[in-house]
Amino acid sequence: MSESGSGAVGEFIQGEEEPSSSWVVLAFGLVTSLTLLVLHGILYPSRDLPVISEILPVFDGVFDSGIWFFILGIMVGVFTIIATMMTEATSE
Amino acid sequence: MGDVLTSLILFWGLMLLTYFLMQNGLSIFNDVTKSMSHFMLEKALGPGIDLVEGRDGSASKAWFIQGMLWLIAASTLAFEGLWLKQDPTALHSLSAWGYDPTASSLIYASTYAALYGGIGMLLIGSSLHIMPRLAGTELASERNATLVSFLWTLSVLILVVAAHDSEILGVNIFLIGTGMHALGFIAIVINLLLTISDRQRALPVPGWLIIMGMLADPISIAATIITGSIQTGSGQWLLAHMVGGTFFFATAAGVALYVSSSASGNPLWSRSLGAATLVGALATINPVGGSNGMMAADMLGVTFEQLQPSSQDSIVMAFLMALAIIPIMALAANVMMTLRGGDAFIENPDSAGISELNLGASMLLPLAVASLFVQSDALSAAPELSGMAPTLLLMGIWLVLVPISLGAALHLFPTVTGRNLLSRNRARWAYWMMGGGAFVGLTVSIMSDLIDMSLIEAAVEDSSALSADVQAVGAILFYGVAVGAIMHSLNAVSGLFRGTRANVDRATSSSITMEEYSLVSPTSVRKILAGGANLDTTVVPVGESEDAGSATEL
Repeated sequence: MSESGSGAVGEFIQGEEEPSSSWVVLAFGLVTSLTLLVLHGILYPSRDLPVISEILPVFDGVFDSGIWFFILGIMVGVFTIIATMMTEATSE
Repeated sequence: MGDVLTSLILFWGLMLLTYFLMQNGLSIFNDVTKSMSHFMLEKALGPGIDLVEGRDGSASKAWFIQGMLWLIAASTLAFEGLWLKQDPTALHSLSAWGYDPTASSLIYASTYAALYGGIGMLLIGSSLHIMPRLAGTELASERNATLVSFLWTLSVLILVVAAHDSEILGVNIFLIGTGMHALGFIAIVINLLLTISDRQRALPVPGWLIIMGMLADPISIAATIITGSIQTGSGQWLLAHMVGGTFFFATAAGVALYVSSSASGNPLWSRSLGAATLVGALATINPVGGSNGMMAADMLGVTFEQLQPSSQDSIVMAFLMALAIIPIMALAANVMMTLRGGDAFIENPDSAGISELNLGASMLLPLAVASLFVQSDALSAAPELSGMAPTLLLMGIWLVLVPISLGAALHLFPTVTGRNLLSRNRARWAYWMMGGGAFVGLTVSIMSDLIDMSLIEAAVEDSSALSADVQAVGAILFYGVAVGAIMHSLNAVSGLFRGTRANVDRATSSSITMEEYSLVSPTSVRKILAGGANLDTTVVPVGESEDAGSATEL
């Protein structure tokens, strides 16, 4: 695009949309989690993660195959459909 | 005369009788039969019928949504079955809950879920919309068809459970599932027969394909039971292929022909090819299907027998299977040429469902020829290709029947529900996930089968490692089908509530739309496009005047 005209850049450079708050919160939460994980690894290098390290052994012998990752994905998808049905049916 | 030929002759005779009765009616019993059938469809059900609505399109909508949800279950079961072929203990933790699936039981259950849950429901949903339009009338009972969809879903659920374990508390639950399935099927057939009995014009070929395909299902069962061939391996195999060639193939053919014309805006390419498909579907044996009659035997509660045909039966079966390539070829050509038309789509070629329909029609012939080889081999005394038969059946389901039935449902969705799918982009993604996942995943699975067969033939002791690795890749790739099914379902469910109204024009390739752009002064094409115009926008030059401006007179 030619930038000879002083108004040409301004015409195209203006953002008109903003990301929705939900995506901002999700992205912020993800970055915060990763930051805390890295911090924990640096500050307490030999210790297990609190809470999570106590919960995970409960599932030893249950989710011991890679297939469960895929099934988990399908379950998320199915629950998304159910949630969509419920929220759409009950919304105004 | 062998079992196969006897059953087929009886089947053809009953089909001709049915056609004669449909054309000529039941003479003096016509009125009483019709009024009795109407009564049985609605008032005889008492308050139960008031549970559902009878608005136009409500029946098809119920069948479509449930069919799409069944596709999720079917693809999940098939994915798990493919995975367990290389890792048999992957789901052993579920045995604590009393559920101990194997690869074969999961794939068997997925076949029921896909054939009767997904494909069957989508085809019936499409038929309930198409038949009244072809006959120029209304569906006889919208409310009954809606109610029956839930009975059908329940019957498929029982069949899927029975595919894992057929006896619960000493009762063969296959028979319960089959009984409920038969009840639902009879209700739908009566509903459609009543609808076309009020037809205002001659029924076109797609209509005949749909109704004859549906009627042939119970008639083929009756033919094999009357002749007693259902007790033999050949009779069970024949019944499975007759149901596959009539209810699934012929009905899908009728739906595909209607939708290819409706979606493209082109008239049906060839009426004679349509007629060849109709006659061929009923007169030949469709090769696409299992290499044994286990489904037929299980659903009818008879002991399963291995396929060991006599020489006469083998000749009849092989000859009629080879002949079936004619209607298959006729259908594929008719659908593809109708979609293509004069190299111009009158309707939007990007609309959801067209790609699926194209995929189904494209894969029909190659898979039918491949199935012909495998099924012909299964008739021999020492079959050599039986190892790849289950995967080939999965390919027939996920690359032919599912794309055709789902494509038709997606195309008819806006007309049936009054709203478009939520996102055309998501539908496109789902198509690539489903089509790509099924094609690549099952091709890799067949490669694994071939490795297995070769190693077994070479008498290699530990043949599992190499084929298992390939099978793992195939299963993971097939996972795309489950993801695609979820995306399609989510798109449809969301579209029911938030989709744009069907009578409102939607954006095609761009979210920016502008019907007219007023061109006041010379400017670049870039600026016009940036101003919100697209390739379909009309640029209207506005006259300029050199006169001095003045106040507007009020």
